[in-house]
Amino acid sequence: MKMALTKDPTNIIITGVGGQGNVMASRVLAGMLVNAGYMVTIGETFGMSQRGGSVMSHLRLSSTSVLSPQIPQGRADIIIALEPVEALRVLVKYGNPDVAVLSNSRMVYPMGVITGDFTYPSLDDIKSMFEKIAAKSWIIDATSVAVDLGNPVLSNIVMIGALAGTSLLPIDRDAFEKEITKSMSVGIRDINLAAFDSGMKML
Amino acid sequence: MKSKVKAGTQGFLKKHVLEEGLCTGCGACVSLCPYQVIYHDRTVQLHQCDLEDGKCYAFCPRTKTDLAALRKLLFHQGDLTPEIGAVKGYYFSRSVDPRLRSVAQHGATVSALMELALSEGLIDSAIVSSRDGQFLQNGAVVKDLVDIRNNAKSRFTVSPTGAVFNQLLTRDSGNVGVVATPCQALALAKMRLNATNEYKTKINQLKLVVGLYCGWTLSMEKYTKLLLENNIALESVTGMDIPAGGNILELYTDDGTKSIPFDAVQSCIREACRYCMDSTAEFADVSVGSARFSGKWSDVRKWNQLIVRTEKGRELVELAVRRGVLDVREAPAENLKELKDAAVNKKNNALKNIIEKSGSRNNLLYLDQHDPVVLKYLKKKSLPKRR
Amino acid sequence: MSKLLSAAKTKVLFMGNEAIARGALEAGVSVVSGYPGTPSSEVIERLSDVAQERNIYVEWSTNEKVALEVAAAASFSGLRSMCVMKQNGVNVASDFLLHLASSGTRGGIVLVECEDPGALSSVNEGESRYFARMLEIPLLEPANFQEAKDLTLWAFELSEKIRNIVILRSVTRMSHASGNVICGKLPEETRTAQFISDGSFMDPLRGPVVSTPVVIKHNLQQKKLQKAAELFEKSPFNSYAGPTHPELLIITSSACFLYSREAIEMLGLQKRVGILKLSCTWPLPLKLLKKYLRLTEKIMVVEEVLPFLEENIKVAAIGMLKDTGIKTFYGKMDETLPSVGELNPDIVAEALGRIMKVKYKSLPAGYIREIQKVAPKIPPREQTFCPGCPHRASFWNINTALKLDGREGIVCGDIGCYAMASLWPAIGFNTVRTLHSMGSGTGLASGFAKLEAFGQDKPVLTVCGDSTFYHAVIPALINARHNKADITFIVMDNAGTAMTGFQPHPGLDIGAVGEPLPSIEIAAICRAIGAKVAECDPFDLEGTSKMLTSFMAERGSMKVLIMKQPCALSPEKKGKKQYQMKVNEELCLGETCGCNRLCTRIFRCPALTWDRAKKKAVVDEVICAGCGVCYSICPQKAIIRTEAAD
Repeated sequence: MKMALTKDPTNIIITGVGGQGNVMASRVLAGMLVNAGYMVTIGETFGMSQRGGSVMSHLRLSSTSVLSPQIPQGRADIIIALEPVEALRVLVKYGNPDVAVLSNSRMVYPMGVITGDFTYPSLDDIKSMFEKIAAKSWIIDATSVAVDLGNPVLSNIVMIGALAGTSLLPIDRDAFEKEITKSMSVGIRDINLAAFDSGMKML
Repeated sequence: MKSKVKAGTQGFLKKHVLEEGLCTGCGACVSLCPYQVIYHDRTVQLHQCDLEDGKCYAFCPRTKTDLAALRKLLFHQGDLTPEIGAVKGYYFSRSVDPRLRSVAQHGATVSALMELALSEGLIDSAIVSSRDGQFLQNGAVVKDLVDIRNNAKSRFTVSPTGAVFNQLLTRDSGNVGVVATPCQALALAKMRLNATNEYKTKINQLKLVVGLYCGWTLSMEKYTKLLLENNIALESVTGMDIPAGGNILELYTDDGTKSIPFDAVQSCIREACRYCMDSTAEFADVSVGSARFSGKWSDVRKWNQLIVRTEKGRELVELAVRRGVLDVREAPAENLKELKDAAVNKKNNALKNIIEKSGSRNNLLYLDQHDPVVLKYLKKKSLPKRR
Repeated sequence: MSKLLSAAKTKVLFMGNEAIARGALEAGVSVVSGYPGTPSSEVIERLSDVAQERNIYVEWSTNEKVALEVAAAASFSGLRSMCVMKQNGVNVASDFLLHLASSGTRGGIVLVECEDPGALSSVNEGESRYFARMLEIPLLEPANFQEAKDLTLWAFELSEKIRNIVILRSVTRMSHASGNVICGKLPEETRTAQFISDGSFMDPLRGPVVSTPVVIKHNLQQKKLQKAAELFEKSPFNSYAGPTHPELLIITSSACFLYSREAIEMLGLQKRVGILKLSCTWPLPLKLLKKYLRLTEKIMVVEEVLPFLEENIKVAAIGMLKDTGIKTFYGKMDETLPSVGELNPDIVAEALGRIMKVKYKSLPAGYIREIQKVAPKIPPREQTFCPGCPHRASFWNINTALKLDGREGIVCGDIGCYAMASLWPAIGFNTVRTLHSMGSGTGLASGFAKLEAFGQDKPVLTVCGDSTFYHAVIPALINARHNKADITFIVMDNAGTAMTGFQPHPGLDIGAVGEPLPSIEIAAICRAIGAKVAECDPFDLEGTSKMLTSFMAERGSMKVLIMKQPCALSPEKKGKKQYQMKVNEELCLGETCGCNRLCTRIFRCPALTWDRAKKKAVVDEVICAGCGVCYSICPQKAIIRTEAAD
């Protein structure tokens, strides 16, 4: 099951806004990778998660060792963003010419934008910025899919499904199913599987 | 240090009107938006608004005002006097109805005129001052005669009449008549002059302004304290007056008439009133005051003085006479002179106080030093010297 | 089944706090107590999940001092116990801790304190390691996830060996980070509690547990510390990795070990720099230290937050000069490393590169230029009150009352989400003027109110949350009442310790494990003190602000207003909207005079956004919590609320 990593360590950052299920996404992804036999280190910044702040999980994948829970600047390989400007925020700090970005398109406006003190870039601008500073990028409307499934918070799992669709990591539907069998209660597994499948289909 | 506040903003009102003690509590800047309210007799800014062309600023009687433009807008230029504004006629008047006279102040002219305007359909609502449950001044919208009578006594504290007016305009209220103090009448005139867009249409519903003579009003906070010190319960006061001689304030209470030395009352006068040049509500259609004169006070005690200022005012008074609700008689010339002398006195005092506050004859706060009336009194030698 | 109960030898992904919890389970802990505080709360939360199964008593105590006393009673009775708190909790517990360390303990007892360098979720970056030195208690600092578990288990053993309490210190990047941990065995036997106190005064196992006679007990305590130092010399938790003769020796502990190791790799200095990882950091194992100090002339100490290790190593090095020679030290004291905030691999690599004269391979210049173009286009995202948060409404009411009152009242703040009322841009009506430790808002208010004789004529208000009330407000409130301090005290009761994840407190009728417990009413306590008390719903803007204004106007007595409304994220509310909210664009005045965006500019709910193109307010239905408060503030009644269907 455990495949050699194309890059060891592989540095993944999952980012979003408090309340979007960022921590949950990183735990599920990490669980899948641990099940596959990899060493995983996660560093989480979620102290502000309940208050609308930026949330970030650093996930480091290695065949051999425990690593620093903080990825050095410019060293991210994959960025998964539940919110588009959060993708940019992470990119400018941790990006490099080889980085891949998978971002949700649904914007959550920061308070400074709501008050009018700051401007939120348009989705087209964000797209072109991704193209300039990332090697690969995908923008999907995971939130709408999640809303259609009945709960916007499922967008985190839609994103994990889409991540599997990118083939950037050794994860697939079986690995997801195996992990949620361990970590989720029976009642919510089907809807999460549906979210995963929808995400996977979006790429 | 914060940057300088811009003219036209709420911040300007705060710095140059509220914090300078110029706010009259007229309420013209209130009920226009969620940012400003009147609490007791204070104008309160709940939140900060950064608009530069707000109605609050435009309507405030204590921001810079082009008085000449207002006089031009409202009056026949030939009627203008420097002392008491436009005068088409000067009379003594009183309500014909003795019951109304008994519940109202002096000759009950104001109540009679408002009742008439309502019953004749000239206006659909009248705004008078009233007291709320906590015995604090408020403006009241009244639509029938009983209400007028219930609110007919003078109380010497300011009502946020402007706020009630603004609130009324947000509804489909029809035509409105307002009983206004000089500062309120000025605010209403500024609304007519400065309103834009949809507010311009709304302001045309203002059909009548009955002005009240006003020497000063009392600060609610200080006055409440004074009553407490004199063991008078605020809620027991049903009316008040200053009898001839003017050295006591009489309070009509449930336990009979009580009096407070006027010196003590004077210390409770609202600061803003020190800077007011208008004692006769110069920007009203008609102005009404007590007939209080040095010599023959008792003769006319139950009468009012009445200044008719506009054509509309004249029509209303004539109608009142025709309908038999108002007794009107010509007032003697010496009374007019006495009134004018008192008005000039107030103007001079106000200018003196303004210059004392600003520290310069070139800075008259809300007044324009080039306005002909202001200029006339500014030239008077009694004012402080240039510093 | 909880992951915490995984079978021995299985490899599990544990958060640092879970690893600590698992370590305690493997040690056979019987009693666990604490007060919630980020980043420590998950230790107790996870243990409460398995409390019944493992026969553990788990308690959220009213404050850290009481929690430590509860844990100590178990130790005195021969049980193993653990007390968990965040860094500043140790300050609260410290008075008891001083006496406890002097009296000694019986069953293994471990004080777990999780610090927050950089104050990611604190209003301080307090350093509690100094308590170990000041109060003469052994200190352990795990440097990875496996060690977090193993060291916790060993801490209990150490405590029993020396018969004294042991401090285990973690940091956010350990507690809230996760890594692979191989589980050990869970014990099968349970201990029986037996407090024996009929022995002689000096009998550590059978006598009364007291800190007197002081000098004798103090001497005994120091001998225990010496014994710990001896055990530390041989401990496998201290280790060296690197060349036999490094040019530079890094001495480090905790998460900084992981940063240091990564920094060495980033700079390719594996053959030139060695790392001595110390997990037993007080008292220092001097022989071990001497051995490694001899390796090289240059020593760099990497740690967060204050130079605790650095100071101690320098003092020790002076005593060893004859054997080790003169060293050059790099660390916080010479500003090689920043003296505030948290560290990370980049900061350590930058410092290390400077010493070793090595440049870190940076990104291509063209890429950096592109990034520099993007960076200014990213709007900052500051913390705010959540959609539906009752605090926003509460502060709205407080602001209204302050303004109506007109005397520029002073509002003292306290610890909880509501502390954000002192920050930009959480709300457009900042009101809170002081912010310190738990309960200190009320103490400060009590003091401000007594300054009347010196010309302080502003009304004094103070706010606190429900959990904070029980934690440290009550003594301050009694002080204010007894000393006739004229204050208006506002409790923002949101039905739980919301900021740290809804841990119960004495105002609720359940405990840590969900067991039914009697609740103790805030209003009843305040009434008993003699205050005038009223309760209100902060969502009723008009009623609440009116009541508060009238309370402020009333002079000479203590007024208490309890604003009751559960947190929007509370289990009973989360995901359930009471109202569907919508903006009627035709009515919305937008930025024109008469409104000027009151909702988006001043009220500031993240779910009420501003459409720049249309110049209208918009409800973001995905994040709207459906509280309906914005309906009450709109001057145009353009924000429409309809009862949400179930």
